[in-house]
Amino acid sequence: MPIEVLLVEDNPGDVRLTQEAFRNTNRFVHLHVASDGVEAMAFLRHEEPHVRAPRPDLILLDLNLPKMDGREVLAHIKEDRSLKTIPTVVLTTSEAEADIINSYQLQANCYLSKPVMLDVFESLVRSINDFWLTKVKLPPQSAIG
Amino acid sequence: MSHEKYVGLLDAAPDAMVVVNEGGEIVLLNVHAEKQFRYRRDELVGQNVKKIIPEGFAERLIADGLRSAAEALAQQMGQGIEIIGRRKDGGEFPIEIMLSPLENPEGLLVTAAIRDISARKKAEAHLRQTVEELKRSNEELGQFAYIASHDLQEPLRMVASYTQLLSNRYKGKLDSDADEFIAFAVDGASRMQRLIEDLLAYSRVVTKAKDLRATSSEEALQGALLNLRGAIQESGAVVTHDPLPVVLADEVQLVQLFQNLVGNSIKYQRPGVPRIHISAAGNGAEKWTFSVQDNGLGIDPQYFPRIFGLFQRLHKRGEFDGTGIGLAICKKIVERHGGSISVESQPGHGSTFRFALAGSETKSTQPSEEKRCP
Repeated sequence: MPIEVLLVEDNPGDVRLTQEAFRNTNRFVHLHVASDGVEAMAFLRHEEPHVRAPRPDLILLDLNLPKMDGREVLAHIKEDRSLKTIPTVVLTTSEAEADIINSYQLQANCYLSKPVMLDVFESLVRSINDFWLTKVKLPPQSAIG
Repeated sequence: MSHEKYVGLLDAAPDAMVVVNEGGEIVLLNVHAEKQFRYRRDELVGQNVKKIIPEGFAERLIADGLRSAAEALAQQMGQGIEIIGRRKDGGEFPIEIMLSPLENPEGLLVTAAIRDISARKKAEAHLRQTVEELKRSNEELGQFAYIASHDLQEPLRMVASYTQLLSNRYKGKLDSDADEFIAFAVDGASRMQRLIEDLLAYSRVVTKAKDLRATSSEEALQGALLNLRGAIQESGAVVTHDPLPVVLADEVQLVQLFQNLVGNSIKYQRPGVPRIHISAAGNGAEKWTFSVQDNGLGIDPQYFPRIFGLFQRLHKRGEFDGTGIGLAICKKIVERHGGSISVESQPGHGSTFRFALAGSETKSTQPSEEKRCP
C-alpha cells in the first residue's frame, strides 16, 4: 500500500534531495510536491488541478514559501476539522526561536531544521520514515471529519 | 598698588592669569588674559571678575565668603573647573580655571590660571561622535556578518549536498580524474560550510549576547564537559578542577568559553593521557583569574599573538581539523565580559590559558575537595 507524503517546498534542489532520500529509505512512499502555500492548500482541499489528490499520511512543510507561507498553511491545516489530524512536520532552514515557538503554537506536530550535511539529512529522512510513517498510530481514515 | 612687579612674572606663564582679591575684584592680569578676553589691562583692573567670568568663579569661591578658602582652594589646585568665559564683545567660550591662594599682606588673593578649552571641547565632541559612529558601524558589521553567513548557507547547502550526492552515487563509475575533481569539490564545499558556521558562531557572540549576571562558573564548566563528553571519553582525558567561583557572566557564553578551551586541550595532545586542570584565583568581589592548564603539545611563544585571531591556524590541514575560530571566539567572549585572555606555553610542555572575569558578591558554595570529572 503506497504511503502518501505531501512535501511543501519551493526549492527544486531540496525537493530532489528529499525525493532521493525517500527513494533510498522507503520505496512505498509517494512524494507529492507543492511548490507554494496556495498549491498546498489546493492539493489538500482537492481543488483544481488536484481534484484527484490523495489525502496525505504526512505533510512536510517548509516555512518560507512564495504566495502563502508555511505559517499560514499550517494555520489553515490545523483550523480545518478534516485536515488537522494529518501529521504536519515543519522542515525548514530557519533555526529562529520565534519560528520554532510559533510553529508549535500553530500545532505543528514537530519542528525539524534542515541539516547542512547530506548524510545528516538522509538520516533525518530515515528518522521521519521510522517514526511518522512506521511507528505512530494514526486515526483511521474513516473516522475523520 | 605694587602688583605691577608681578606682571612680568605672570606674563611668562603659558596661560591667561588673573589675580582676584577677596571682594572678587581683579587686581592683576597678564598679557594672555588681555588677549583671551580682548580687553586692555586698564579696562579690567578694579572690575569684578564676573565681567569676564559671569558664573562659577564667584559662586564657587569668592561669594562663598572665603569661609574655608584655603582648604577649598587647596582642593581645587590642579583640578580644573570648567566654566564659561566672556569676551569684551560678549562672545562666550569654554574655559578651565585653576585657582590657587596667594597669601598677601593685604589679605588673601586668588590666582586664577585660565585656559581656553574650545579646541579641546571640540575635540571631545568629535571623539564622542566618532565613538558613536564606530559603535554603530561595529553593530552593523556584526549584523552583516550574521545575515551574510546565514544567507550564504542556503545555496552552499545545495552545492555541498549535490557534490556529496554525486560522490556517493558516481564514485568509481567515472574515470579517476572525475573522482578526484568531485572529491575536491566535496572537500571545498564542506570546508566552506564549516567556515560559515564558525563565522555565524563568532558573530553570535555579539548578536545573541545576554546580560551578565551572577553565574556559577563551576556549573558552566560542568555544562561544557557534558557537551565534550564524547571527546573526553574518546581521548581518555582526565579533567579536574578546583572549586570555582560565582562570576558575572553570560552563562551560555561561559559554557562555550570553557568548552572551546578544554576542547582545544583535548585536541592538541601528545600521545598519552591528556590531563586538564581548571582553577580560579581571585579576591571574590572584583576579579577572578581562571586558568585552563593542559599537558598537551604546547605552543611556540612566537605564535601567541596569532592564535587568538580569526581563522588563524598553526597546523596543516589533515593534522588537526578546524577552521581556527575557537580561540577567536574565546577572545571575543572574554572581551565582551570586560576581561582579557592570554596564554603561557612551551612546545612540549603544555599550555595554560588564563582569562579574567569580574566576580560577583556571592561566593561559590561548592565543596572544596578536588573533583574528578568522568
